Amino acid sequence: MASLGYYLLLAAFVVSAYSAAIAVAGARRRSNALIESGIGAFYLVAAIMAAASGVILYAFLAGEYNIKYVHRYSDAALPLFYKITSYWGGLDGSIMFWVFLLSLFGSVAVYVNRERHRELIPYVVAVISGVQMFFLLLMVVHNNPFATYLTETNTAGRGLNPALQNFYMVIHPPTMYLGFVGLTIPFAFGMSALITGYLDDAWLRAVRRWTMVAWLFLSVGLGLGMIWAYEELGWGGYWMWDPVENAGLLPWFTATAFLHSVMVQERRGMLRVWNVTLVITTFFLTIFGTFMTRSGVVQSVHAFGQDPELARMFIVFMIALLTFSFGLVIYRLPLLKARNELDSWVSREAAFLVNNWILLFSAFFVLFATMFPTLSEAVTGQRLTVAEPFFNQWMRPIGLILLVLTGIGPLLAWRRSTLVNLRDQFLIPVGFAVVTAGLLVSLGVRVWSSGLCFALCAFVVGTVGQEFWRGAGVRAGVTGTDRFTALVGLVGRNKRRYGGYVVHLGIVLIFLGFAGKGFKIEEKASLTPGQQVKVGEFVLRYDSLKTHDDAQKQMVTAQVTVLRDGKELTTMYPARWYFHGHEDSPTTETAIWRSFAQDVYVFLASFEPGTQEASLDFHINPLVNWLWLGFGVMAIGTGIALLPETLFAAALVRIPANAATTSLLFFMLVLLPVTGTAQSTTTGKIEQRSDVERKIEGELMCTCGACRRTLASCGMPNCHGHAAQSKKLRALLAEGKSREEILAIFVRDMGQDILASPIDRGFNRLAWLFPYAAAGAALVVIVMTARRWSRPAAPAVAGDAGVDSALSARLDDELRDLD
Amino acid sequence: MSSETSTDAQLLVRHPETPRERAPFQAWQLFTLAALISASAVALRAGYLPSSVRVALILTVFAAGAIGVAALRTLLPFASGRGPSAPAIIGGRTRAALEREKTLVLRSIKELEFDRAMGKVSEKDFSEMSARLRARAMRILRQLDAGTGYRAEIESEITRRLAQPAAAVATAVEKRAPAESGDEEASAGRLSPAATMDRDVAACGSCGTRNDADARFCKACGARLGAA
Repeated sequence: MASLGYYLLLAAFVVSAYSAAIAVAGARRRSNALIESGIGAFYLVAAIMAAASGVILYAFLAGEYNIKYVHRYSDAALPLFYKITSYWGGLDGSIMFWVFLLSLFGSVAVYVNRERHRELIPYVVAVISGVQMFFLLLMVVHNNPFATYLTETNTAGRGLNPALQNFYMVIHPPTMYLGFVGLTIPFAFGMSALITGYLDDAWLRAVRRWTMVAWLFLSVGLGLGMIWAYEELGWGGYWMWDPVENAGLLPWFTATAFLHSVMVQERRGMLRVWNVTLVITTFFLTIFGTFMTRSGVVQSVHAFGQDPELARMFIVFMIALLTFSFGLVIYRLPLLKARNELDSWVSREAAFLVNNWILLFSAFFVLFATMFPTLSEAVTGQRLTVAEPFFNQWMRPIGLILLVLTGIGPLLAWRRSTLVNLRDQFLIPVGFAVVTAGLLVSLGVRVWSSGLCFALCAFVVGTVGQEFWRGAGVRAGVTGTDRFTALVGLVGRNKRRYGGYVVHLGIVLIFLGFAGKGFKIEEKASLTPGQQVKVGEFVLRYDSLKTHDDAQKQMVTAQVTVLRDGKELTTMYPARWYFHGHEDSPTTETAIWRSFAQDVYVFLASFEPGTQEASLDFHINPLVNWLWLGFGVMAIGTGIALLPETLFAAALVRIPANAATTSLLFFMLVLLPVTGTAQSTTTGKIEQRSDVERKIEGELMCTCGACRRTLASCGMPNCHGHAAQSKKLRALLAEGKSREEILAIFVRDMGQDILASPIDRGFNRLAWLFPYAAAGAALVVIVMTARRWSRPAAPAVAGDAGVDSALSARLDDELRDLD
Repeated sequence: MSSETSTDAQLLVRHPETPRERAPFQAWQLFTLAALISASAVALRAGYLPSSVRVALILTVFAAGAIGVAALRTLLPFASGRGPSAPAIIGGRTRAALEREKTLVLRSIKELEFDRAMGKVSEKDFSEMSARLRARAMRILRQLDAGTGYRAEIESEITRRLAQPAAAVATAVEKRAPAESGDEEASAGRLSPAATMDRDVAACGSCGTRNDADARFCKACGARLGAA
């Protein structure tokens, strides 16, 4: 079976090469037969990859442990479901899965567009085949998933990494891959438009939908990854700026920027070069992200380990990619020249420019900060750490600015908005924001960033609501129907705009979730059965500790009862699972009691089997569920925008409703609380930690080696590194040392990479300075370009004078029919 | 958007499928049948395997069937022996591009009116932008009326000028030149259309092929034109 699989991969490589070559030859010689054959070969790659996937699936299910990959990621006791998903559990298989998805996605894209964009298709086939060839080459020469042991014979496997045995981890990678792979399609179309020179807006139309699809998958994938981190890693958070997470976020930023700036090209014919550049950058970032996480260039919890040879191959590919694509852009610059004119700074075009600036800056900043440790190691020889606090400090204001723009953009008109328009448009949304802010102040909310975020959320909701309300009103006036029917018609007529607004609402919900972080409560306590502690408004009682076994693992489960105002709310079962063969790294099964206002999140840090004493971490996480809901709303919005043009008339009334119901059902499933029983009580003691201690814990990295997180968010409080550091920290605090002194002592003893963000000194100053510099430079470039564009607009074309009335009447007719 | 698709569908004739569609028994059916038979064989003979493994095997068999179909799809274009493709598409592109442009402009007008109703544009800006867009829309309408786009327009212009005395032509050139500039012309100019015009063609008497007006023999069957 192994050699069959390998031969299939080889065949796929050869066929890809054939497909690329023959398609280009066909396009150059205008030979239909050659092009058709190239397309056929392109489908053939998908079929071969399907067969190869079948083979590896068989190997996993039948337990062919002489295949290294199977041996490493599976064992007999693994449930069937996880056996299937082990396919993409490791590096080699994930590359293969990537190629499989790319070939499928590409085939669909080619099949759908083969008539409409006939002249582009040969090159699309060639470009996608080229990308496939690279990944196939990786497998053929370096990461063969079908490699077998030469001498050893294995009868049992080592089993899938227990942390990956989680439902979300099963659907998260494929969704991310679909997002990544989907972004190859716009790139291929962009490239072929550049090659053929058919740079009118036709290629954009083909690309826009595919970018949206990929963007949808990417967003959902990121959301699923966050849910996984929240449920599985046990530190009460969902995002910690890990390089692998960042790798998914980078193309998301640029794809979002593209989806916005593409509108400027469609409406105004501006920004042509910029849009092509964005498409290329986005694709490049997907490859770069893969490179970052697969080659061990950066350290991460779930990176796949060091591999210099793989890194070299990736670097060659990336250089070739950049040279080729930007070379083409430069070659085609004359054709990309556009009539750029910016009538006013208070216009939607300008808002989009700012939006692009912020999004690109975010991408650039995240990329820079992720690569900084590697960079500093190369320059100064000292590896530094750039972790969560550094990112949060930067991204919080950036996020808020983006949120403001989300609210402002839709209110501005294309070309220019006058003062009267502005007052008329902004009155209600700003009113929303002010009222919310007033309410928050009177309620005594004192966390400024969260408060500001709430107010801005209200602003955006006001904007979106006003857009829908007024739009429906206008349409009701024109068509003479009631407002609701008008609303449906409105969304149907301009699905992209109103779908986009729904996505904005999703963004608002997500920001609500972020803002909730400002009010989180986190306590640790060591309890014996029957003891209880008060955390926030909840009383949590630890009842018992039980041990179970199944074929795969030993499970140690604590039982915790949650009470509020003396009433029992629920019973929770935080646990640790010790998988056979992976006893040294038990998984943390957190228990979460969900509600719309907050989550009670309990995590079993450690336990003493003899005395039944357990160390428990309690988190009260307000508003977290709005985050997941926000992702659902975003998906629905994108779905509306993606509805086929011909379909909407019939389906519009039903589909969003269905989508809403199913998504709600899905989320209700996620939100299902756990239920149980009760016992008698004494009060336990919460570990007292001063604010300074909490602050420092957030600034120091845990040295336990595996988690790459700060002390505050490390999930293993009793491991060797963490325990020692905590003791040392407490001793220093007891001596009355200040924060600076303590940090200095830690740096002296453990080196600089103990700090979560680099000290602002020497080469490190670059880390702090560079983002400012980059943002400033970009701003200067934007302002200068915009100034160049904002020459007084040419007077309206008076040519074709003598507008004949017959033609004018016909135009009116057509306009009426268009609706 | 819808108009764009419909034009495309009309203009782009589906060449490759035509010969195979007539065959009573198509290749993909053969492969599907073969895959089905082998899959059933696997299902029956491999009863000792767990069902999940059998399913994996069956899926692989089907993938193999798909490989067969796709391989045939790769090779068949050579066997059917069609030569270089006719450039017919490109003529269609001009019209399709014009139609698309028209829809785009019409939509922009609609959007602008909507924006005004929403109170986002001032009256002065609206009238200026609206006039500009309407002028553009009418220009496109006129081009669509004139025939298959610029090619036709140019041809008729040439005929007209050839008929005119030289002096008149000179003024006409001056008048037209500054009228418009920019990307429309640039992009439309690229799409060199090879469309033929109705009144400049002569249909062949024996095979019905359209030929250039000055052709003496039919380009398809070689019959003498005008004789029939």
